[in-house]
Amino acid sequence: MIRLQNVEKVYRTSAIETLALNNINLNVKKGEFVSIMGPSGCGKSTLLNIMGLLDEPSRGHIEIDGSKVDKYHDKNLAQLRNKKLGFIFQSFHLINDLSVIDNVEIPLLYRSSSARQRRELAQEALEKVGLSNRMKHFPKQLSGGQKQRVAIARAIVGKPEIILADEPTGNLDSAMGNEILSILQKLNEDGATIVMVTHDDAMARRTHRLIRLFDGTQVL
Amino acid sequence: MLLNYIKIAWKVLLRHPFYTFITLFGISLTLTVLMVLTSFLDHIFGTHYPENKRFRSLYITSVTYTDSSRTTRSQGPASFRFLTQYAKSLKTPERVAISSMFGYTNAYVNGKRIKLNTKYTDADFWYVMDFEFLEGKPYNQQNIDNGDHVIVITDALRKQYFEDDGKPVIGRNVEIESIHYKVIGVVKGSPATRIYTYSDVYFPYTAPKSNYQSAGLRGNYIGIVLARNESDLPAIQKEFDSGIRKIPLPIVDFEQKYPVLIVQADKYLDHFLNALLRDDSLKNRFIFYSIAGFVLLMFMGLPAINLINVNVSRILERASEIGVRKAFGAPSKALLWQFIIENVFITFLGGFFALGLSFAIIQIINASGWIAYADLTINVSVFLVSMLVCLFFGLLSGVLPAFRMSRLRIAEALKV
Amino acid sequence: MLRHLFKLIWNKKGAHSLLIIEIWASFMVLFGVLSLIAFNLNNYLEPIGFEYKDVWVLDLSTNQDTVNLPEKSLRIMQRIRSYPEVISASRTSANTPFSANQMSNSSTYNKVSVSHDFYVTDEDFSKTLDLPLRKGRWYEESDISARFIPIVINKKMEDKLFANENPLGKLIKENDTLSYKIVGVVDKYKAKGEFMTDNPALFKMLKKEDWDRNVLIKVKPGTDANFEARLVKDIAAMTDQWGIEVSYLSESRKNRQNLTVIPVVIFLVICGFLLTNVALGLFGILNLNIAKRKNEIGLRRAMGATEGNVTTQFLGEIWVLATFSLIIGLIFAVQFPLMHVFDLNSEIYITAILASITVIYIIVTLCAWLPSRQASLIHPALALHED
Repeated sequence: MIRLQNVEKVYRTSAIETLALNNINLNVKKGEFVSIMGPSGCGKSTLLNIMGLLDEPSRGHIEIDGSKVDKYHDKNLAQLRNKKLGFIFQSFHLINDLSVIDNVEIPLLYRSSSARQRRELAQEALEKVGLSNRMKHFPKQLSGGQKQRVAIARAIVGKPEIILADEPTGNLDSAMGNEILSILQKLNEDGATIVMVTHDDAMARRTHRLIRLFDGTQVL
Repeated sequence: MLLNYIKIAWKVLLRHPFYTFITLFGISLTLTVLMVLTSFLDHIFGTHYPENKRFRSLYITSVTYTDSSRTTRSQGPASFRFLTQYAKSLKTPERVAISSMFGYTNAYVNGKRIKLNTKYTDADFWYVMDFEFLEGKPYNQQNIDNGDHVIVITDALRKQYFEDDGKPVIGRNVEIESIHYKVIGVVKGSPATRIYTYSDVYFPYTAPKSNYQSAGLRGNYIGIVLARNESDLPAIQKEFDSGIRKIPLPIVDFEQKYPVLIVQADKYLDHFLNALLRDDSLKNRFIFYSIAGFVLLMFMGLPAINLINVNVSRILERASEIGVRKAFGAPSKALLWQFIIENVFITFLGGFFALGLSFAIIQIINASGWIAYADLTINVSVFLVSMLVCLFFGLLSGVLPAFRMSRLRIAEALKV
Repeated sequence: MLRHLFKLIWNKKGAHSLLIIEIWASFMVLFGVLSLIAFNLNNYLEPIGFEYKDVWVLDLSTNQDTVNLPEKSLRIMQRIRSYPEVISASRTSANTPFSANQMSNSSTYNKVSVSHDFYVTDEDFSKTLDLPLRKGRWYEESDISARFIPIVINKKMEDKLFANENPLGKLIKENDTLSYKIVGVVDKYKAKGEFMTDNPALFKMLKKEDWDRNVLIKVKPGTDANFEARLVKDIAAMTDQWGIEVSYLSESRKNRQNLTVIPVVIFLVICGFLLTNVALGLFGILNLNIAKRKNEIGLRRAMGATEGNVTTQFLGEIWVLATFSLIIGLIFAVQFPLMHVFDLNSEIYITAILASITVIYIIVTLCAWLPSRQASLIHPALALHED
C-alpha cells in the first residue's frame, strides 16, 4: 500500500546540514497496522510526513497504492491526500471557530459533494467514534479524548484507505489512550491500513508490526 | 529605568517596521488633517493682521428687512448714513470704523491690465486696524473733508503698478477710471479671506463713486466697533440695540413693507454663524449639519478604527512575548509600563512627523498664492489636544488588551 | 464552500466586527467622495452650450447718478458697437456667465410649474455668446407686445413643460399679471460653467429703454488691454460718475472652475490617504491572521486542499467580510437616492455606490492577495509543527 525506496531527508540551514532520515526502505501492506517508535528527534514525524505526502524526501521514491508520486504536482498530491489518506495528530488541530460537525466536514469540502451528502457522511463518521450527540459543540467545549475522537472522525469521513496517526494518544491519559487505540483497531479490522507513531510500548505491542528508528536509520 | 523602557520600545518598533509604519502613518495623517483644518479655521476666525484687535471688536455687516414669519426678506450691507447715525454715535466704544465692502475695477499701465479691489473708508479705519505702513501715512479727517483724491495702496499693487522701479511712490499718481489719485501711503496687504479689511486700494469715503450719500438703511458699508476692552462688548451691544429699537417700523423698501428689522453688532465668529443660521430652512440646516458632522466623524474615525484594529490584532502575537517576559520574572506592573511607554513613544513620533507635515503643507498653502497674503500658522493647543486624542486611542487599543493579557497565567499566555 | 466561509466568519463575528466597521467606514467615505466626483463629472461631460472665448464683461455701476440712465446706456452701447475691434455687444442682467450671481423664479404652463434660472438680455445675446438655437429664433425688438414679454427657453425647460407639444408661440405665466411668449429654444446654457447642472433656463427680453448694469462684448481675437484701456477711458469720459469694471470670461471661467476643482482635489487627496491607511492596516491584520492560522492551513493542506483552495479560501473570507460591510453600507447609502438628499439625480448616487463597491473589492483583494498567496505556500508539515 505504501512503499518507500531509499528515502533520505536532509534539513539544511545556513550553517548545518541535518540528516533526518537515512536510506529508509519500507513496505506497508494493505490492511496492516504498523507502529513507528523511537526516541525524540529520531525522525519519526518526518517519516510520517513523508508517507503522508506532507513533506518531500530529499532523495528516494514513494509509492502510494501502486502509483509513484515523485513527479506529482501540488494538485495531484492534494487529491491523493484527500482521497487516500487520513491524518490524526497529537495536538488534534481542530479549528476552534468551527463546530464539531463543521470540522469533520472539512476533507469533503475539497472534493465535489453536496451539502447534504457532507452532512450525512460527517454524522456517520461521528457515530463511529461515538460522538453523534456532540455535533453542534465547539472544540473548546470538549475534553482531550473527545477532541481526538473528532479528529479521528475527520480522518475517516472521506473513507481513506490509509490512516496516518502522529502520537494520537500523546496528549491523553492512559484510559483515554486505550479508548482511542480501540477505535483505531476497529477501523483496522474494517480494512483501513494504519501507520501510527507512538512513544508507548504498550500501544505499539497492540499493532501488527513495529518499526524502530534511531537517528534517522531504521533499526528494526 | 525610563531610558531602558524607551530603548525596549524603540527595539520593538524596529522589530516590526511594517506595523510601526502603519501606526505612524495613521497617527500622522489624522493629526495633520486636524492641524491643517484648525489652522485654516484660525486663519479665518482668529485675531490676525491687520485686524489685531478683532477680539475686542464688533462687526455690523448686514441689515435685514423681513416679516414676522421670515418668508420674504431683503438683506445686505448698511448705508454710510445709517452707520454714522447709529454706530458712530455710540458712547461706550473707543472708536468706530466705517468702510465699504470691496468693489472691483481695473487700472491700465503700459498695455497691461491690473485687476483692483477697492475699498472706501473713513479715517478711523486706520485707527481700528493695525495696518503696517511701509511708506507714507494714512489719510486723515482733513483729507476726507477736502475730498482729496488720495489713496493708500498695498505693497503688491505698488509692485504691479510702479513695476518695482525702486523709487518711493509717495506723491506719485495712480490712474483709475480716468481719475488721477495721489498715493499717500503704502501698507502691507491683508489676506483676501479677511473681507472687511482686504483691498488693493483704499480711498477716503469722499472720493468719487463711493456712494456714501445713499439714503435709507441699506447700502454698501459695514461698521467695525472697537471696544476699550473685551468686557465692554456686551454693554456696547446693548447700547447699539437700544438705538436700533428707536428706528420707526415698518421699513418701506421698493414699495414693499417690512415690519421687522434686524441689525446686530456681533463678534466676528458670531456674525458668521448668525449669517449661516439665519439662512435656509431648519430642515436643510439639520441635514447640512448632520452630513457635515458625519463626514468629519468618518474622516477622523477611520484612522482611529484602523489603529485599534491593528493593535488588537497584534495582541495575540504579543501574548507569547508577554508569556516569555513573565516567565522570566517580569511583574505585571512592569509590563504595563512597557506598553504605555511604547504607545506614548509611537504617538509622539507620529506627532513629530505630523508637525513636520502640517508645517510643510501650511508653508505650501502660504506660498502657493492660493490665498494672497495667507498667514496660516500651526496652532499649538490644537496640536496638543489631537496628540491627546491619538494617545487615548493608542492606549485604549494597545495597552488595555495587553494589560489584560499580562495578567493571564503564564502557561495560557504561552499556549496561545 | 461559500457556506463554509460564512460559518467561519459568523463564528468569529466578535473579532471581525472591527474589521467590518472599518470596511464599512471606508465605503461611506468613498461613497461621499465618489458622489461628489460623479456629480461633477456628470456635469462636466455636458457641453456648456456657448462660446466664452474673446468675450468681455463690462460692469457699469451708476453710483449716485440717477438721471437719464436708459439714454446714457443707449449712447454707451452705440459707442461700444462703433469700435472696429468689437464684433458684437449685448446688455444683460448681473448673472453674467461664470459670475457668482444667480437669479431664479418659477413659471407655469398648463398648471405645471417649473422653477428655473432666468436671464434678462437684449436681442444680441445669442450672437455675442454664439448660443445656437434648436428651434425658432432669438427675440427681437419687433416681438415686443403689451400683453407679454418674448422669451427663449432651453431644452431642459422645454422637456419639463412641453411633453410632445411644440413650445414655439406658447404663452407661459410667471404670475397672474405677467406672461411670456416663447419664440425660440436653445439646447444648453450652463452659465456657471462646465460643473453646473443643466438646469431649466429662461431668457427674457431686455427692452432698449430698460437699464441693466452688465454688457457682454465679443471682441476680435488678439484684442489686448490697450483697447480695453481705451474703452474704459472713453466710457468714463461719457459718464464721469459711473464705475466701470472689465473682466474676461475666460478668466472668470477659470476662477469658477477652481471653486469646484479645488475642494474636489482636497477631498480626493484626503480620501486617498485614508484608504491607503486602511489598506495598509488591512494588509497587516490579514498577515497576522494568517500567521495565527498556520496550523489550520497545514491541516487543510493535509486534508487534501490544494494551494489554490487555500488562496481561494482566504480571499473568499475577506470577500464575504467585505460583502457584509457593504450590505450595511448600502443600507445607509441607498437612503441618499431614495430621499433625494441634496436634490441630486439618483443615477449619480447609484454610479457612486457601484464605483465605491468596486473600489472596496479591489482594495480588499489587493490587500488579501499577498497574505493569501503566502498562506497557500506554507508547507503542510511545517505548519502542523508550529507549536
